Formats: sequence, structure tokens, C-alpha cells
Amino acid sequence: MMQAGPAKKVSIYVGQDHQYHGESVYAAVLEFLFYHKVSGASVTRGIAGFGADHHMHTDRILVLTENLPMKVEFIETPEKVEELLPKLHEMVGTGLIEIQDTTIVKPSETSKQAARQDSSPPLKSAGKAKLMRIFIGENDKWNGKQLYKALIECMRTNGIAGVTVYQGILGYGANRRIHKDSALHLSHDRPIMLSVVDNEERLRAFLLVLDDMVQQGLVVLSDVDVIKYTHNFHEQERRKEARQ
Amino acid sequence: MKLAGKAKMLRIHFGEDDKWRDKPLYRAIVEKCRELDIAGATVFRGIEGYGASTLIHRSHLLSFSSDAPIMVSVIDSEDKVHELIPFLDEMVDEGLIAMSEVEVIKYVHQEGARS
Repeated sequence: MMQAGPAKKVSIYVGQDHQYHGESVYAAVLEFLFYHKVSGASVTRGIAGFGADHHMHTDRILVLTENLPMKVEFIETPEKVEELLPKLHEMVGTGLIEIQDTTIVKPSETSKQAARQDSSPPLKSAGKAKLMRIFIGENDKWNGKQLYKALIECMRTNGIAGVTVYQGILGYGANRRIHKDSALHLSHDRPIMLSVVDNEERLRAFLLVLDDMVQQGLVVLSDVDVIKYTHNFHEQERRKEARQ
Repeated sequence: MKLAGKAKMLRIHFGEDDKWRDKPLYRAIVEKCRELDIAGATVFRGIEGYGASTLIHRSHLLSFSSDAPIMVSVIDSEDKVHELIPFLDEMVDEGLIAMSEVEVIKYVHQEGARS
């Protein structure tokens, strides 16, 4: 597992057609890294380039994708890199290997670990919370997008615990205009209600954003008791592991 | 119309087939609200439910008869809501009316924002 701090970045440049024991060099290198538990590696294909042989490798001409440049990159601890180098040297053949000092600012992690690190759930599993209801029309727009969809996206990015959209069949509001679904028209302007539950501070903070987005409608807050707020992500992961 | 601060929310639950003088009850309620100048009312149709009659309300996709549960949500000041309640009492034969407290954050409309 990589830690934040100094590390080595290794870049290997080869041609796509270069072979190592009957296999493309880049694929062989990638496999070698994979089975030596390197924490991660990427292969990128260039679109043109030249190397020691001063032969232009490009996909521009009619010759179909002729020996394009490939770059295999990985980042590891200096010790690990030392350990891997001799074998890489042998595999790469005519290609080029370069090592740079680098600094890991944030190590990558598996989604499982990331989820476990999220130790502060957005909403306590039980207790006092606020329920916010937003009443708008289905046709209301925000920056050319349906307002209710924009609101959901905005809430997700603001870390709001959850939201549910309800579509009404009839209603009217501040503008005294009846919203309804007319079966014979293509345009529907049904009333929409978004119901949002989260703790008071988070909702109050979100109100500032909301204020800008909701140009007409009604927003109300009420007290609720949260009885249960769970998701079974960990359970799913556990089952997945058990299956393997 | 001004609505701010503490307000009341009424939720009226009944069935889609319920009528008031040959008119769907939910429509009659919305019209009554407008007549009384209530700040707003919204009708929602549920997909399944049961109530005082313990009859399951369910919308049938394949048949024309659908008695889906209906919820009308009305929000206004306490005075206005109390003005509405006697009418609801008379109109809603079978159903549930619940009142709760809400805090109005925003109640706005834009002149001519809608075409």
C-alpha cells in the first residue's frame, strides 16, 4: 500500500509492436507489474513519436496504426523500484526506462477502504432532524435544465443525506396558476414536491444555494425524528467478498 | 400574498374515487382552497395504501377503475388553515386530515415567469 510522501515514478517507452517472448512488451510489462503487486500502473498510447531508431511512428499515414509509441507508467517506493528494475531492463529491450523522484500527495485507495474511511455519516442514524419540502412546477427551469433535476444534482454535490421527488396531479401555488397534467397535451406542468431530510445546519447552509435556484415556489421546514438511516453498501461488499 | 415564518400544513388523505357533488373530491378541495385564497394546495397520487376503511387502495394499470390513494397538501397560516377545516370536515366523508407545524423559508412567484 502506497503512503503519502516521496516515491519514484517509472516511465517505460516502447513501441506497440515490440515483442517480448511472443507478447507485446507493454502487455508483458503490465502483467509483470501486476503480479509483483505494484500498487498501480497505466499504459498510454501515443499518437505519434520517434525513438532511438529515428523512425517516425505515427497513425497519420495509410499504414494502419503502425507501431505506435506506448508508455507504461507506475509509481512505487524506491525499494520496490530497485527490486523490479533488473527484470524490466531485460523485458524492455530497445525501449527507454526513465525514473523520476515524485511525491505522493494522496495515495489511491480501493473504493472499499474509501467507504470505510467515511466515518462521519451525513446523518445520524437516529435523532432530531429537519424535513424540507420544496414545491415547484415540473416545467420550472434552472440554467436550461429542469429545476427539480438541477436541485437533486445540487443536493448530491452538497452532501445532503437524501431527497425524494414527488409528482403531483393537480395544484396551485404562489402564482395562482393551476398546475396540472393535461392528457391531450405534450407539455406537462405537474406540481413537483421534493422532500429532503438532513440535519438542520446542513439544510440551513443549503438554503443559500436554494435561494438562487428557486425563483418561484414554496419552501417549508418541519421537525422530524429520524428512526433509521442506513444503506447496505458494507453488507453488499461483504457478500461480494464471501462469494469470491 | 405573503407567507412567512410559522405556518401549518394540512395533509388530507382519501381515495381517488371519492366524490364531492359529482366531482372528484381532490379537485373540489383545490377549488375550495382557491376560493378561500389559501396560499397553495398540491394533490399527490399514491401507488398503494389503506386507510380508515382498511380497504386497499391501489391503482390498476389494466383496468379503468383506479382507486389510488390521494393526498392533498395545503400550507398556509394557522388562521387560514382553520378557515378551511370546517369545509374539509363537510367534504371529506372518509379519510384522514392531519395538521403539522412548518416553517416557511420561501414563498415566491415571478410575474410573467411562466408563459
